[in-house]
Amino acid sequence: MLSRTADNLFWMSRYVERAENVGRILLAASRMANIPGADEGVSNEWESALAAAAARASFAETGQEPTAENVFEFLAFSEANPSSIRNCLRLARTNARAVRGALTLDTWEAINGAWLELHRYRTDDVSPSGLNRFIAWVKEVSLRVDGSAYRTMLRNDAYWFSRLGVYLERAENTARILDVKYHVLLPDSEPVGGGLDYFQWSAILRSVSALTAYHWVYRDSFKPWLIADLLILREEMPRSLASCYANLTMFLDELARTYGRQGDSQRHARRIYAQLRNARTDDIFQSGLHEFLTEFLAENNRLGAAITDQYLT
Amino acid sequence: MRIHVRHETAYHYASPAKYIIQKLRLSPRSHDGQHIRRWRIEVDQDCRLMETSDAFGNIVHSFTLMGAFDSLSILVEGEVETEETSGVVRGTAERLPLELYLRETDLTEPNADIEAYARKFVRDDGNRLSMLHDMLVDLHEHITFDTNRTDSGTTAADAFALKHGVCQDFSHIFIAAARSLGLPARYIGGYLVQQNGVATSEAGHAWAEAHIPDLGWVGFDPSNGVCITDGYVRVAVGLDYLGAAPVRGSQVGGQSEDLKVAVHTENMAAQQ
Repeated sequence: MLSRTADNLFWMSRYVERAENVGRILLAASRMANIPGADEGVSNEWESALAAAAARASFAETGQEPTAENVFEFLAFSEANPSSIRNCLRLARTNARAVRGALTLDTWEAINGAWLELHRYRTDDVSPSGLNRFIAWVKEVSLRVDGSAYRTMLRNDAYWFSRLGVYLERAENTARILDVKYHVLLPDSEPVGGGLDYFQWSAILRSVSALTAYHWVYRDSFKPWLIADLLILREEMPRSLASCYANLTMFLDELARTYGRQGDSQRHARRIYAQLRNARTDDIFQSGLHEFLTEFLAENNRLGAAITDQYLT
Repeated sequence: MRIHVRHETAYHYASPAKYIIQKLRLSPRSHDGQHIRRWRIEVDQDCRLMETSDAFGNIVHSFTLMGAFDSLSILVEGEVETEETSGVVRGTAERLPLELYLRETDLTEPNADIEAYARKFVRDDGNRLSMLHDMLVDLHEHITFDTNRTDSGTTAADAFALKHGVCQDFSHIFIAAARSLGLPARYIGGYLVQQNGVATSEAGHAWAEAHIPDLGWVGFDPSNGVCITDGYVRVAVGLDYLGAAPVRGSQVGGQSEDLKVAVHTENMAAQQ
């Protein structure tokens, strides 16, 4: 396979995954903006949404106030924001079109259809019902693309490259969402374990579809270390870092086996995966969750660079 | 290196065993330079394997059987991807403070002879890595590999006096000597595949790790006189053989058991 084709497949699915994650971040912000205490102006969920989407700096350049309307417009539809949902879907489609022949009809239609339908869902209504309608559609697009790839694509290098994009992006987002909640979201005036803290955690867990999972696994009220355990170390949790890396190592192994050689990306992914498997939540908290997540994000980026070097250029 | 491991432990009992309890330290963990692609344990009798992890971080499976059994077999089969790391072992599950690995055990208690032997290698420049390298080579030269002179209960001191032993004895002597010099050391149970080779033997392999400041844990294989390479699959850690033993257990009944172990390791790349 040409490295250009691999690159297109990787970014096609990575952008779809990113669109979904930006959507989930917006949904969490909207939920938090509508919980008790939020109207007193002590919390800053829309700014947090920008932080979680790694879009703080690019938003600052627009010179706008981080109001609900502005942040929603910026993260969802702005053409100036390279990671807005609109741009993600556009780029996913551009990449998909370049490798149309490597995709199944279903996968292509899911992506192309999303781009064509986007204008119908465009809205400036940031009320929960307006925003919900749009985000529900974004999630559906992602499910459709993912599901059609899963159900129709041949298990060969084309499929594996597309999976790498998904899991690399997902790991990055889980780490960032957790980090933002832990370090940015809760105002200093609010106690940890207080009412606002509780609502924020439940919104965060909901945003990664982990609220029910949390109660299944722990049968306990929200404890930051248990939530970190769930989203970092639990392999049975499909958005956890450990689960993402179980998949990344597996798909990189498949590529290595098919091509008969392995390199930096395999080694790097295995090392991170081993670290996640050998780690314990206590130790992570002892040396600092923020430090751990910062380090993880750097490592995750390095894996992205290694994959790019090895396969995509 | 891509290594395939197949390790079968089979018991035959002359009179049926009624109650069997077994503890298995047969599941390797991944760390830098060792990636477990797949691994499974199969017991040929119906039972439930309970997975826990011990104080050293080893994955431990245990099971109990009740009934009457003429035989029992435990099959371990897996595939591991390894990388050459010049003997340095990083990214392992470390659960205990380093000082703990200075603790003597019955099997690794040094006597005066071992202490005197260890002191011979102390260097003026204080380089501990070179010191242990020298000891590693010397042990390999002066102790004869011999499967008939020692058993699983032989202490480091006894094996050192005999000047004969198996990998377990080599490792115990090395560990006892390193600890007597104040270096944390531990026993490692695992598998070894020769470069380009396929090997079948009646036991897994064992070697030692010593902790060198600024470098971390380094694997030394005194029975081969070398530091570990990508041909080694690291499975269990302990203070001595008993702590890292692959299978431990006991049973009621089942007199005169006959135990057969077959370990098959293969470098899969060499087979392609």
